[in-house]
Amino acid sequence: MQKYQKLFLIILATFMLILLTACGSSSTSTNSGGQSETSIEDETSGEVIQAKIGVISYLSGAGAAYGEAITQGLKLAQKEINEKGEVNIELVIEDSAGEAEQAVNAGQKLMADDSILAIIGPTLSTEFFAVAPEADLNGITIMGTSTTADGIPEIGDYVFRNSIPEALAIPAAMEKAVKRTGAKKVAIIYGNDDAFTKAGFEVMKRTAEEMGLEITTIETYQKGQSDYKAQLTKIKNTNPDLVLASALYNEGAVIIDQARKMGITVPFVGGNGFNSPQVIEIAGDAANGLIVGTPYFGDSTDPKIVEFNKKYEEEYGKKPDQFAAQAYDALYIYADALKRAGTGEDRDAFRDALAETKDFEGILGLFSFNEVGDVVMDVTVVEIKDGKFVEFEE
Amino acid sequence: MLGELLNPYYLQVLCFILINIMLALSIYVPLSSGQLSLGSAGFMGIGAYTSALLTIHYELPLYVTILVGALLAGVIGIIVGIPSLRLTGVYLAIATLGFGEVIRVLFVNWESLTKGSVGLTGIPQLGRELLKFAKSIGIEPSALGLKNNQFVYLSLVIVLLIIVLFILWFVIRQQNSRIGRAYSSIQMDEKAAESMGINITYYKVLAFAQGAFIAGLAGALFAHTIGYISPSDFSYHRAVEILIFTVFGGSEVIIGSVFGATILTLLPEVLRFVSDYRYIFYGIMLVILMAVRPQGILDLYLFYRLKGKRIKRGTS
Repeated sequence: MQKYQKLFLIILATFMLILLTACGSSSTSTNSGGQSETSIEDETSGEVIQAKIGVISYLSGAGAAYGEAITQGLKLAQKEINEKGEVNIELVIEDSAGEAEQAVNAGQKLMADDSILAIIGPTLSTEFFAVAPEADLNGITIMGTSTTADGIPEIGDYVFRNSIPEALAIPAAMEKAVKRTGAKKVAIIYGNDDAFTKAGFEVMKRTAEEMGLEITTIETYQKGQSDYKAQLTKIKNTNPDLVLASALYNEGAVIIDQARKMGITVPFVGGNGFNSPQVIEIAGDAANGLIVGTPYFGDSTDPKIVEFNKKYEEEYGKKPDQFAAQAYDALYIYADALKRAGTGEDRDAFRDALAETKDFEGILGLFSFNEVGDVVMDVTVVEIKDGKFVEFEE
Repeated sequence: MLGELLNPYYLQVLCFILINIMLALSIYVPLSSGQLSLGSAGFMGIGAYTSALLTIHYELPLYVTILVGALLAGVIGIIVGIPSLRLTGVYLAIATLGFGEVIRVLFVNWESLTKGSVGLTGIPQLGRELLKFAKSIGIEPSALGLKNNQFVYLSLVIVLLIIVLFILWFVIRQQNSRIGRAYSSIQMDEKAAESMGINITYYKVLAFAQGAFIAGLAGALFAHTIGYISPSDFSYHRAVEILIFTVFGGSEVIIGSVFGATILTLLPEVLRFVSDYRYIFYGIMLVILMAVRPQGILDLYLFYRLKGKRIKRGTS
């Protein structure tokens, strides 16, 4: 017994040592944004505002595609901003693996580094809810570029977002759809085990009630389900004028496909998560008649978006999605606030400058923050027509 | 040097290590009586949600709610443990895994209480409550040479460390008691143990409930460490992760769980510098380890060797 305890203590002590050395070594290795800063510094010495921005992104695991799009959007913006030479931004990118625990660790690592001015990310709302209160208490600005759940900017004064919440996107789409079709009865289908789709559903229900629409039925499905016929049969029997679907595109595409095969021909209205070219690829002709509200319309003829598409394709060899576009704009918003703050070292001055952002011209349109730090901007409503996303016409 | 060591990032990682040690122990205890339970994630969720909801809605002190959370998980452990007595090995593992999923789906669907998949925000953080308490009795962190932030995390780590040490002490003491010997006899041969007059039902349910209690405690502490919980924190993924802690470290000895949880929580953090590829490294290391040492890094044989005793392999 005595010996066992002694051994236990020795081993515990060894762990502590391993822990210390491990932490010591990891603190020295930060991941710089891959941009050389020195060349620009030499040209306009003294004038350039230096700033280090921490990024928490979903880079490994099931949803790594989102994080990759976001970091690519950020890096593209970083390259352009640094080339202009007014501000020089260094990105310190940390992976969160889509888990709240990991995101908090990454956040703590960034916050503990005094040279980090502000943070962008994490990717998921469930990660953001865990990190943002901590950032707020530490007095470091944090902005979500892909977090659309309710109540995010309300966490604190230092918490912002530039992603359009479902509370803005869905009502815009619903209003336009109802105006054109004159719908009176709607059916709702949503995924109830996902924070994003559930938040979308709540907005749909609220908006439908406000608009005086009759909700014929509310159906739910689970993540990863592949057969929706039971729910769709019920929806079909209630004979709605519109189907509101709060779904992510991979499930949404299957739902719309099965619905068309069962003879449900009415238009579908979806949220931001439904907005992906993948829907057309998966559902084909069945996708026609899907109406979504979105901050970003990739096939728009707006010269700014056309240019962004071109630059992004040159750099990464594929078309950007809305996550890349939102991240791209986010870094420009940060750079804009940096210019107004005049320094890259004062976290509070930066926060105040950011909060004053008004009518900022990004690729997504005119952008402002309201008093809590939430998005104020116009929503584009698009629909799928003849196998293509086009802007919605009334 | 001290200020450097008290970096909130290191302390936060240390908190998760300590919580994960508790979770690994919650698998180890039932395993020491021959029951492979994968319900830890579910029990953890029960503890976390109970404690979080009690503090949010009734503003009860944290030490009460954490204990209530752990006790509730323990009681549910008894309720689940009795019918699953008939099951052994993989069958029990599948049943408990199913139980964990039932709990998760309950959290997702009981929206009026749990806010569904969006999760619970604004859970009081244990460290901050301790700071408030310290200030109310007149201890200022600055008097100890600490910033508020450092005090918050340091106190959290100390509380967690005390709890972990207590659990370790308890489990080690128990192993060398009547109960512990009953557990290991059941693990070796259930029928032989029964014929020796050991009440199998009692001891198996006891081990199961102890595991559930520890998992519930870890869950409650997790909720008050991270300040936000959602059902996805307690998914099947978590259950497997906890199992890996114990299997990786070595499931024959208690120190294996501690070792496994420490290393596997630390590894993703230490590997941050390879960013995108870190989980590949993590996976490769697991594969190599399982191929070379299927019993886990630490086992009884290694301990005898360390003590300088020579025994024949296979007798342990």
